[in-house]
Amino acid sequence: MTELRFTEEQRDCLQELINVAMGLASDKLARYLNTFVHLQVPAIRLVDTEQLPEHFASRYEQQSVTMISLGFFGDQGLRGETIMLYQLANVDVIAKLLGYSNDDSSEAEMLTDISSVLTTTFLNGLAEQLENSFSYAAPRILSSRDQHFADKLASTAEQWQLALQVDIRYQLTDYSFNCDMILLIPGEAMMRLRLILDQFLASF
Amino acid sequence: MQLDWLVQPLLTQLNTGVLVLDAAHNIVYFNQFIARRADIQLSDVSGRLVYDIFADAPKAWLQRKIDGVLALQSPAFSSWEQRQYIIKLPHLRPVSSGSQHMAQNCSMLPFKAPNSAEQFVCLLIEDATDAYVYQQQLQHSMAQLELANRTDGLTGVFNRRHWQHELGQEIQRAKRYQHPLSLLLFDLDKFKQLNDQYGHQGGDAVLIELSGIIAALLRDTDVLGRYGGEEFGVILPETDMAGALLVANRICAAAGHQMLFNGHYINATVSIGVSSFSGQTIDELIQQSDIALYNAKRQGRNQAVAWQQQPETYLKKVK
Repeated sequence: MTELRFTEEQRDCLQELINVAMGLASDKLARYLNTFVHLQVPAIRLVDTEQLPEHFASRYEQQSVTMISLGFFGDQGLRGETIMLYQLANVDVIAKLLGYSNDDSSEAEMLTDISSVLTTTFLNGLAEQLENSFSYAAPRILSSRDQHFADKLASTAEQWQLALQVDIRYQLTDYSFNCDMILLIPGEAMMRLRLILDQFLASF
Repeated sequence: MQLDWLVQPLLTQLNTGVLVLDAAHNIVYFNQFIARRADIQLSDVSGRLVYDIFADAPKAWLQRKIDGVLALQSPAFSSWEQRQYIIKLPHLRPVSSGSQHMAQNCSMLPFKAPNSAEQFVCLLIEDATDAYVYQQQLQHSMAQLELANRTDGLTGVFNRRHWQHELGQEIQRAKRYQHPLSLLLFDLDKFKQLNDQYGHQGGDAVLIELSGIIAALLRDTDVLGRYGGEEFGVILPETDMAGALLVANRICAAAGHQMLFNGHYINATVSIGVSSFSGQTIDELIQQSDIALYNAKRQGRNQAVAWQQQPETYLKKVK
């Protein structure tokens, strides 16, 4: 597995690209949501997929968590899956954020909607940075109101070699919410990603 | 090789609905999939607002989604699992499906015209009716399984496992809200004799009829379950001892009627033990009703007896 690791430089480069992508996304989101959105610079960590479930289980402890997956495909074998984790206590805030009233959308629909907005906006920015473009599969709910979501996360994560944990924290004027995004990338796509990062580094 | 000629026949044959809107949500294009199912012609509705043509579409929601696609230049999705359909279209399985309308998965994709910067949104609508129908069948089977899992096969009342689970819940509720709660345990008198005389089918018939008679006497919130062979339990939420004894006596009176089985009149009576919740555990509460039930039997059967604190020695004798 060691050959799949990033070098220090590659990781810094990726962090930088993600920061830029996140910046692009927050700008678009602020305009779309028509409110002052303060997106903090995301904290990014490369995580061992084996450690992921444990990490998130302790992070959310006994709280109800909804887990939503969205797959993406790019050119040249770049592909992966994003997983968004939400605390259900945040659902009302998300509804307000999207301008939904309670009666016209279900909780599941609100969560899949916010997930596709957050992930595709961010990933489009990332694709742009990588001089690629992504197409997306519809988001789907992996588990909901589930205290044992870590088990499902384990069975999802074990198919992937690299996990990139991105903490996203949204702060709006009157309320705030945060959610976690995990970027899962398979081994072949990661090799490809490393090549692209090397090209980037060479051009500086 | 020039492949432009392929696009039109492909769009026509495609088994997916393609509906293109401009930035003002006016209809620009749709393919045959939509034209045939919605029975509209592009030449008639081109340039019209999509919400005017598909008046049943969830306007506010769809507007927000499409504006999002345009503003963010990123796709949006809708799944039949969350929203069965966006525009009402018939599907091709009218007989096998319980629903009249096509269940739809929809992707909404942003497009820009290559020469102008004009923006468009393309709605791809896929027929997910099959998945929808299978899901409905699955849910129906699950509901039936769940019911079977809770029900006593012979009498149709709750089985012991579910009944005891309900009792646990009611105890929690009574404790939390300081509400009264009572428990009846009752037993058919001389059931063995009855079985010997009329056979097990006779015994079964009595159990079935008795369950029906008693269920009819209870409120919707009362919970009747078969505890064991000829023993039943009734959970009476919001009911104190006096109220529970009233119900118990009513059950005794109703059960005392003769039942007809194979031309014979069977005389069945019940004995009932009554206890009320005052902080006991589930096992203690059941035990108290059980002791009261034994006392009802000792005192001559066909009656309801309330649980009372008994001297230690007497308890041992009963057991």
